[in-house]
Amino acid sequence: MLFSEARGRKVVSSSTASTVGKVSRLVIDPTTRAVAGVQLKKKTERGDMLRWSDITAFGADAVTVTDADRVGDGGDTVQALSGKAHRVLGKRVLTSTGDELGTVADVDFDATSGALIALLVDGGTEVEAARLVGVGSYAVVVRDGP
Amino acid sequence: MRLMRTSEITRRPVVTMAGEDIAQIKDVIYAAGGGTVGGFTLAGRGLFAGPLKESLAWSAVSALGADAVMIRDESVLQPTKAVLDASRASGGSGANVLGSQVLSDAGVDLGVVRDVIVSVTTGSAGQSSGQCDVVGYEIEASEALGTQGEKVLIPLPDTIAASGEHLMVPASAKEFVGRDLAGFGAAVEAFRAQLGGPR
Repeated sequence: MLFSEARGRKVVSSSTASTVGKVSRLVIDPTTRAVAGVQLKKKTERGDMLRWSDITAFGADAVTVTDADRVGDGGDTVQALSGKAHRVLGKRVLTSTGDELGTVADVDFDATSGALIALLVDGGTEVEAARLVGVGSYAVVVRDGP
Repeated sequence: MRLMRTSEITRRPVVTMAGEDIAQIKDVIYAAGGGTVGGFTLAGRGLFAGPLKESLAWSAVSALGADAVMIRDESVLQPTKAVLDASRASGGSGANVLGSQVLSDAGVDLGVVRDVIVSVTTGSAGQSSGQCDVVGYEIEASEALGTQGEKVLIPLPDTIAASGEHLMVPASAKEFVGRDLAGFGAAVEAFRAQLGGPR
C-alpha cells in the first residue's frame, strides 16, 4: 500500500464500530525500516498517535483498532520519530556516495506487517527499502544503487 | 574516478548517514605539497553561520558526491588545528594556489590558476574514500596557449613545485590541455604516462 493511499483512511473502533479519526501521516522508523505509528488528523484529549502495535488491521477501506482509547501520545519512540526531521515525503534522497536522486514522492509499505517496501522517488526511480540508511532533517540517505 | 572543480566542492553540504546536514565545506586543505586533498575546513549551515572550529580530514570522508559530502556521523570531525597540522606534516603548503602564475619548465607563462581540478576515487564498497588527487588546474590561458583569455584545463604531474607565486609544470603539459572535464581524465592519464615513460 502507498502512503498516499493510506492518507485520509478512516480509523474505526471494532468494539463500538464508531469512527475514531482519519489517518493523517504514517510515522516510520528508519532503523527497523517499518511503519512505527499512525498520526491522526484530529487530536483527541489523549493525543493523536496510534502505535503500529495498537492497530488491529490496516485494511483496504479502514484501519481498525480494538478501542478508541488506543489513541494516545504514541510513547517515546513514536513521539521521537514523528518530528519533522524524520518525515520522508517531499525530502531529498541522497545516496551514501553523496549524489542526489530526487525527492521522495511516495512510500510503498506492507499493510500487514508495516514493513517498508520501497521509496518512490520523483522521476520514477524506485529505491528498495532495504537500501534505507537514515532519515534526517536534511535528507533521506540510501545505500548506493546495485 | 570522478573529476570535479574545487570551487564546486565549497559550500557543498556535509551530511551524516543519518541524513543531518551538520556543516558545509568552506575551504579545501591541501596535503602532500598540494598534490592531494588533506581535508576541508567547515562553515555552519545557513546564510549567517560562521566558520566552525572543527574540520573534516579526508580520511574521515565516506564519499564526496555531486551533491553532498557524506560522513558517518558528527564524531569524525576533528579540531581544525589537528587537520591543518596533519596536512602540513605531509608537506601541504596550505597556500592558496588560486591566482598563481603557471610556468612551464621551459620558462613560458601558461596562465593564471582560476580553479583546481581534483579526481576522486572511491574506496571499496563505498565505505572509505580512496584518494582525492589534485590532477589539474583550470587556468586563464596566456597567449602561449593560443587561446588567450579563455579558461582551459591543464593536467598536472604527480608532484608539483609550487611557491605561492609560481607553479612549475613540465612543458609537455601544454599538449594535453583540455576544455571541459569530460575527457580530461584521459588527458591527465596520458600526460602522466608520458612523463613516467621514456623521454
